[in-house]
Amino acid sequence: MTTRKTAPIGGTAMAVLALAALALTLGAPDRAALAADSVKVGVLLPLSGNFASNGQQALTGLKMYFDEIGNAAGGHKIDLIVEDSQGKPDVAVTKAHKLVERDGAQILTGVVSSGVALAVNDFSRENKVPLVLSGDAGADELTMPGPLANPYLVRTSQNGRTVSAAAADWAYKKKGWRKVTVMGSDYAGGVDTIHGFAQSFCKLGGQIVQEQWPPVGTSDFGPYLTNIDRKADGLVTFNPGADGLRLGQQYSEFGLKGKLQVLDIYGTIVYEPNLPQLGDGTLGIYSSLFYSPMIKTPENERFVAEFKKRMNILPANEGPNGYVGAHAIADAIKAVNGDLSDKMKFIAALKAVKFSSPKGDIALDKYGMVIQSMYIREVQKVDGQLANVPIATYTDVDQFWPLTEAEFLSYKYGYKELKGSLTDCAKVLAKK
Amino acid sequence: MIWLIHVLNGIAIGMLLFLLAAGMSLIYGLMKILNLTHGSFYLVGGYIGLTVMQRTGSFVLALLAAAAVIGVAGAVIERFFLRRFHFDELPQTLITFGFLFIFADASLWIWGGDPLMLRQPRMLAGSLPLGDYGYPYYRFFLIGVGLAFAAALWWFQEHTRLGTMLRAGVDDAEIARALGINVSLLFTLVFAAGAAFAALGGVLAGPVLSYYPGADFDALILAFVVVIVGGLGSLRGALAGALLVGLLDDFGKAFFPQFALFTVFVPMALILVVRPTGLFGRR
Repeated sequence: MTTRKTAPIGGTAMAVLALAALALTLGAPDRAALAADSVKVGVLLPLSGNFASNGQQALTGLKMYFDEIGNAAGGHKIDLIVEDSQGKPDVAVTKAHKLVERDGAQILTGVVSSGVALAVNDFSRENKVPLVLSGDAGADELTMPGPLANPYLVRTSQNGRTVSAAAADWAYKKKGWRKVTVMGSDYAGGVDTIHGFAQSFCKLGGQIVQEQWPPVGTSDFGPYLTNIDRKADGLVTFNPGADGLRLGQQYSEFGLKGKLQVLDIYGTIVYEPNLPQLGDGTLGIYSSLFYSPMIKTPENERFVAEFKKRMNILPANEGPNGYVGAHAIADAIKAVNGDLSDKMKFIAALKAVKFSSPKGDIALDKYGMVIQSMYIREVQKVDGQLANVPIATYTDVDQFWPLTEAEFLSYKYGYKELKGSLTDCAKVLAKK
Repeated sequence: MIWLIHVLNGIAIGMLLFLLAAGMSLIYGLMKILNLTHGSFYLVGGYIGLTVMQRTGSFVLALLAAAAVIGVAGAVIERFFLRRFHFDELPQTLITFGFLFIFADASLWIWGGDPLMLRQPRMLAGSLPLGDYGYPYYRFFLIGVGLAFAAALWWFQEHTRLGTMLRAGVDDAEIARALGINVSLLFTLVFAAGAAFAALGGVLAGPVLSYYPGADFDALILAFVVVIVGGLGSLRGALAGALLVGLLDDFGKAFFPQFALFTVFVPMALILVVRPTGLFGRR
């Protein structure tokens, strides 16, 4: 009798294997049919690292909208495939490749950091993949004619200069400010944003009397706050991240509250997670942004209620951005009947969307940049909680507002050249 | 008036830096280890203080809890990890570097990525009006605490047996051991104490600087600068270095804003060239 070296496959094992094979073959056609009919949307967001909370908000907003429409548009199922960009451009591009090449994503969306946006924008242009920026990524040049222009790009979030331009208009016309001192984080985005304010403010006839540029990560704003020109009518700031939190705290500490009003572009100080930490010292701070959770439309109230249920916090910038991005994608999928083979037709459908949203009315310009509303908010106590209450609204704000495209492109100097000379309105407004 | 505010500010920030750097200087002086986990002790101590403050509302409890937890963590790290490479400085430094990353990731996981602020104890909130300006009471408090701490440390070093043993260990650890001083225990105590000081600095800095991912690196770099300028191993050097860096940082930002990032590092570079062991360093 020979010793058996390998165990023979027993009867039961054979039966199980056969059943499994049968199940797989039965299942496969269903999945194939599903795959043919569903549209795959690749989501690239920072779900870990420093921008994790922003990424989570955008993802919640995206999922909220798709869940509302039953994850299908015009009869076509929408498959969301989510990847974590970690806020790093190289990781984001690797994940983008994976989403498009391995997972079959036909659209990419998300993106919070401008650095990642620039990298993914290049990817989208080279690989001809429609990209809908629905997180943050407000770098102006992405949707303007120029070297970064990408016919496959659409942005439903925001851009830097319009938020500043609205602030300038309101400060001059409604508050009567004529001289302001500005304080912006010393990096490209900070200079760009403050420049946007200076351009509009100078054009109206106002003047910047002092500019200060605390480095990103400044922990002690003492010297800057002490140095402020007291003759100014107001302080205009843009200090995202932890800097905004610290500036908010130190602004009241250094005895400026009540002496000098603050107009916080983008609401970096009064960002919703900061308000409960900073407390009543923030009352009266003005800010400009494309959203406020306190907007009183039934649309927004429903959105905020559902968002609070899912995330236990008030939506800030990225939540509504994600929601609006999803809405635009869904409408475009419906318009092309689920057929994304003609990419330019799909992009045209994206640019043609028009709907009302928690942010307000949404449309897109020919470059794929969103046309939305801007809100001036003030920190007030509502039902015992601190909140950014809208006190002024600007509608139909496109990326060049309040200028025309031709006028905007006629200025000689960009923000890089004007840093340090913002106090000279003649130079700021110099034409080519 | 504006000069007075700038000077006060420089001193206040200097005191925070002193709390941070004193521990690092002591640890190097005695053990010759450049403790790269020091920034993490500062940040995690701060986070712990924040959590305790949120649950109990007591600033004192926050300070005690942070110092205790981080002190124990420091003792454990020294006793079970660093001790294995006794007198081998490079592996020891690398281990502290590894712990830096472990603490950083753990903090991100536990406390998240949003910047968090510790609210000042109500007693110390508000500011003293100084002409057109105001200066926060809390920063006056920091100056007071820093001076008290410096005095306590000096008294400890000069007038207690433990302090004398510490000075002996810093001078020459081998001879100290030969004389019967339990240098191993001293090592653990000093490492734990240094960590606890950093944690105290972290809690005290909360209302001024806030906590966020990366604050550990920022603190570590500043501690380095202070210790290099002041001289490794010398408490007097840590105090002098801290005050100098605090004042230079403030005046630099106020009067040379384009060089805001350099005002701290240029003096450090100069000192390294002119007096490599620092203002009060030895050897």
